[in-house]
Amino acid sequence: MKLTQFAKSTLAATILAVTSLTILTPAMAEVDVDQLIRQAEKAAYYAGSDGRSDARMMIVDSQGRKQLRQFTILRKDVEDNGDQKMMVFFSRPTDVKDTVFRVEKHADTNVDDDRWLYLPALDLVKRISAGDKRTSFVGSHFFYEDVSGRAVSQDDFSLVEENTERYVLKAVPKEPGSVEFAYYVVEIDKATSLPVLINFYKSDDTNYRRVESVQVNEVQGFPTVLRSKVSDLANGGYTLMEFRGSEYNVGLPDDVFTERSLRNPPVQWIK
Amino acid sequence: MRRSSLSLAIVAILLTVPMFYSGESTAQEAQTSGDEWDAWDEFDEFEKSEQISPFTWAGFGEIAVGQRINTDPALNTDKTLRDLRVQLQADYTLEASTLAFRGDLYYDGVLDSVKVQIREAAWQGNLAFLGDWGRRFDAKIGQQVLTWGTGDYVFLNDMFPKDYQSFFAGRDDEYLKAPSLSAKLSGFFDWVNVDLVVTPRFEPDNGITGEYFSFFNPQFGMNVAPAFDVLDSNEPDNAEWALRMYQTVGQTELAFYGYRGYNKTPMAADEQGLPRYSRLNVWGASAVKPLGPGLAKVEYAYHDSMEDDDGTNPLVPNSQHRFLVGYEQELVANLTGSVQWYAEHIVDHDVLLANSYWPQYEQEESRHVVTTQLMYRALRQTLTLNWFNFYSPTDSDGYMKFRATYSPVDEWQINGGANLFYGDEPHTFYSQFKDASNVYASFRYFY
Repeated sequence: MKLTQFAKSTLAATILAVTSLTILTPAMAEVDVDQLIRQAEKAAYYAGSDGRSDARMMIVDSQGRKQLRQFTILRKDVEDNGDQKMMVFFSRPTDVKDTVFRVEKHADTNVDDDRWLYLPALDLVKRISAGDKRTSFVGSHFFYEDVSGRAVSQDDFSLVEENTERYVLKAVPKEPGSVEFAYYVVEIDKATSLPVLINFYKSDDTNYRRVESVQVNEVQGFPTVLRSKVSDLANGGYTLMEFRGSEYNVGLPDDVFTERSLRNPPVQWIK
Repeated sequence: MRRSSLSLAIVAILLTVPMFYSGESTAQEAQTSGDEWDAWDEFDEFEKSEQISPFTWAGFGEIAVGQRINTDPALNTDKTLRDLRVQLQADYTLEASTLAFRGDLYYDGVLDSVKVQIREAAWQGNLAFLGDWGRRFDAKIGQQVLTWGTGDYVFLNDMFPKDYQSFFAGRDDEYLKAPSLSAKLSGFFDWVNVDLVVTPRFEPDNGITGEYFSFFNPQFGMNVAPAFDVLDSNEPDNAEWALRMYQTVGQTELAFYGYRGYNKTPMAADEQGLPRYSRLNVWGASAVKPLGPGLAKVEYAYHDSMEDDDGTNPLVPNSQHRFLVGYEQELVANLTGSVQWYAEHIVDHDVLLANSYWPQYEQEESRHVVTTQLMYRALRQTLTLNWFNFYSPTDSDGYMKFRATYSPVDEWQINGGANLFYGDEPHTFYSQFKDASNVYASFRYFY
């Protein structure tokens, strides 16, 4: 009896689920994908009008060898979802200590980001030519683009699934020749609007790369990814990144984001 | 059902983490290995062990060995590099400024002597403590390495001391720049930024003096290698002044330069024919801007020989115009290529030849050099291959540098490379160093 009851209710649940799924389909069409991804972009890369964070990375290669990177990031938005200024001050390991990376990110995909590197041993400020943004960021499995943000205008997004917690979107690059992936699937957390899982695929649907947020905390009211991981699923190896001491709206002056700070780091902001 | 149980499992692992948002959701993610969590734990350990102290120190030990490819009749050794080196870096962070020290202690097996080089011992900070106006000024005072200008391995307006002996021997690039005891004042204003560097006592380059490598002597018409020293009386005690004014307009970086000092190499001679440094002023300008998919740069400098206005004095180098045009671009992912065209144009060249003791060995009126560079980063930037070639079409000679650096872990780095000089004539700029061609390897351990 009980068993029958159970079977019935399960059946009912299944039917309900199927029904709700069919009901969901027209509802999905109402989700404004464009709005969704811009919201996600803003949550992930434009929280507050500026911010600072101490970052640590552990790079683990396919043979299990570990490397560490430690740096402080300062960021200031010129406008939300638009241009940004960024400074990265390295403190570890020894061979990159006091190296500074300066970026002026341009939201217009036709304008390359301006980038500079300061090499302290030579007192050399080197302007770096525009590079492939999908190459390793300081030797980690993160790409430069994972850190600075891939412009959402570079991909076509479509909603593939919506559940109670997340939106699942598929992104297809508008210029397939400019990237190593055929498409990626990004899951956006509804509560925070943060992209919490991104899987990258080759054209044969092999999932070869994954970026995921492992820990998200609220910092001054902004949901913030404090721990994230990127995995090379093809060759093995991964990088863990952790942010500490994150603060938003700290009032970073514009002159922090200049050549001045490369040679003479603004001690009060990076301590 | 499956999904929620997996989420639960992960949540359980991370239960200590407050406000956990991202319940993981696919089957693959659940395969997160035990290793990874160990790594996070290790990460935590690494953070805990870190001391929050204003004092930090680090450094490395290095062994470097280089060997001449050919024999040099002027020198009785095939050793070009034998370094056993320790570098110590120590920094002390004050309220709004820093004290920095970087010094090398090394045994130089080519010269069989122990040497000390203080590369940095300086205070650096903002001058706000002097009053509100000081906010716009930074200063760095003490022993320091200084660089400006746009050239890669060619210098037009950068008159700070260089160490070509290290460059030729295959020491790390950082040793191409030699330190000087200087004071640098930097001012930052809305319409221009200014750097003023005063070096109270002239600091020359460490050039090719015959210590490691022989050089062409026009008097003998061949290479000589008696390590020569410039007499104290021929080395100025006076100050050098260097000025840079720069500003960014749109995406273009503009800079203007000035220098008042001396030729950095002892190319002038006294009445006995002994080397000395002659007075030199330099004026110039540069611009760098993105162009197409890469970066374009242009630089100019006028080297004004103050002791030989009309070029008639054969004991003092003539004035020169120096030009540089360059372009750099990422060719494919991780491979960057660059090209530079560099020219030195000697002023009053006909007068120079008419007065020269050795007109047959004088530099061409216009000496052109084309440099090409390919830099490849592989294996997640743990391997760097750098190929750099200087070629002079006017001298038909050149200098090829190759270096490979491999560092798969934070603790150590291994380097190997070659410095190859080539050319037809014995006296031209690069060709004279043909017997200096060498290969080298080094191992560096960071502590």
